[in-house]
Amino acid sequence: MNLGTRGALTFPLGDYWFAVRVEEAGGVLEADRLAQLPGRTAPIAGLAAFRGEMVPVIDLGAHLGIDTPTRSPRYALVLARGVDRFAILIPEIPKLVPGRALNEAPAPSDPDLGDLFESVLETETDRYYCLNYWRIFESIAPVAPGTASRVPAAVEN
Amino acid sequence: MALPVEEETQAPKQNPMESVPTGVVVTVATALLAGIVGLLLHGVLGWILVVVIAGGAAYVASTITGAATQDESGHAAHFLKLLEGGGSWEDSPPSGFSHAWKAVYERVNQLELEARTSMRSREELERFHKHADMAVSMIREGKDPLTEVAELRVGPLHGLLESMKEGVITGPLVSRLSLGEEELIGDDALGSPWPKGVPDPTAVERERVRVRSGVRNLVRAIDELVGSVGGGTPASAHGADPSTRTPAQLVDQVVLTAADGIEDLAAGLMRANELASVAERVTNRATLLALNASLEATRSGSEAFAAIAEETRRLAEFAREATDTISRLSSEIEFKVGETITAIHATSEDAKTSLAAYAGSSEPLHAPSVGRSDLESLRQRARQILGVLEDPHETKDTPPLPVSVPGNEDGQGQEVADEGRETASPTQAIVEKGPAAADTLSTEGILLIEGLKPDAHLES
Repeated sequence: MNLGTRGALTFPLGDYWFAVRVEEAGGVLEADRLAQLPGRTAPIAGLAAFRGEMVPVIDLGAHLGIDTPTRSPRYALVLARGVDRFAILIPEIPKLVPGRALNEAPAPSDPDLGDLFESVLETETDRYYCLNYWRIFESIAPVAPGTASRVPAAVEN
Repeated sequence: MALPVEEETQAPKQNPMESVPTGVVVTVATALLAGIVGLLLHGVLGWILVVVIAGGAAYVASTITGAATQDESGHAAHFLKLLEGGGSWEDSPPSGFSHAWKAVYERVNQLELEARTSMRSREELERFHKHADMAVSMIREGKDPLTEVAELRVGPLHGLLESMKEGVITGPLVSRLSLGEEELIGDDALGSPWPKGVPDPTAVERERVRVRSGVRNLVRAIDELVGSVGGGTPASAHGADPSTRTPAQLVDQVVLTAADGIEDLAAGLMRANELASVAERVTNRATLLALNASLEATRSGSEAFAAIAEETRRLAEFAREATDTISRLSSEIEFKVGETITAIHATSEDAKTSLAAYAGSSEPLHAPSVGRSDLESLRQRARQILGVLEDPHETKDTPPLPVSVPGNEDGQGQEVADEGRETASPTQAIVEKGPAAADTLSTEGILLIEGLKPDAHLES
């Protein structure tokens, strides 16, 4: 089934391949020199400058418990939703897979994983996991009290 | 060593220029004496006495003049014979030669020596011979060479012929070179200066001097060789002179040279890798640019943007392929350099092992073990031969040196070599066969070193 997406950016983490829909992706940049934050926790890698804005970068592999090579250079895939942006640290330049080649498969229904998975995209040969990246980000960097949630209502529902 | 020439050239003679006044004095005194006798004695007895006195005086005057002429003619004959024989090996001209004779004599001898190596000297010597032939021919015909042959007036014999001519009181030059002198230019005198069937003593002597000179050079070379071997120290063995190095040292030197070159190559490869890294970063930037363009084109759905994004992607792919190729080649070269270094070290060890095996010892070679005592024996033998050559009366202990007839110099050289082989001593046998270890090892070492060249199969 075609999801109607125009495509997805795919990247590996450990033994898995993950995907970000192009509608969510804001761009890709080099992340070999990130600005470090004081008192940061492990999943937060630092800050990157993306088109004139500061974007927090999270280490998705560290958050998921996947060992990733810490070789340089690394890249940051920026996810954008409205004016909000954050980036996930990925080990290599992602590949753009056109939407016409993608089909949606049921997400893994593992109670332990909860709503980690948003969906699964498949091609004839590969399988990509789409995660609820915004939820992951908010779990790492919670929204301050009195601030509107970054997660869209549709996703929340 | 004396020249085998005529007696008159060896003994001091009266100067020909002084004989003319003596004859005049004798003639004048005779005339005065005859006049006095004619005044004192009258008649037949007086006339008889006058005739006797005049006849005796004429005989005395002719004897004096004839001796002078014979003296000068002897010099001329000797000189012309020298020219015919190609000069002399004596350092100084024979005694009794005048200044003009000496100059030409020495010049001919010098040219004879230089003609072996200089074509110009050889041509000048041939010119000497040609002029001598012409002068002799003119003299035989009773003509004045300076008058008849214009070439002689500007040739190398001009001064000599002028000197001879000025010494004549009256008459042409031929009167000074009497045809009656057999030793001079009489029948067969110059054509065959020595009786047939008897070896030419001049040529024999010349060959003897030549052999002696060669043996002297040999002794000198052996002395130098013994000095270099005897004075060799471990430091000099590692010196810059390749001829003093052992094969093992040569192998080490080749390995060190190759290692230096490979180190330079490795440094160049590191620099190339750095540049390849920069190119890879540029390629990554281009790839990111292409990806972001494609992402924006996909998000916007613009065909124009998609076209630009596609071109950017192709450019990034091209850059990526070029960078990958550079990186792959660099890695391959680096790998092969590492293999080559390993192979060189392994081959050098094999070479040293082989050299030691050829030497019949498990220890590596460090110094030439051949030739010191053998060279001493060879030097003594050469000095003994030289001593015999310098004293011809001591030939009873050694085989006589070969002597060939003139005009067969190459054959003489071969005979000398053959004779040396016949008189070969154990030392000489070693020299001819070669010390089995050192020479063979040198060859083997060179062959092994050849195997280290880039076009060689290192695996083998």
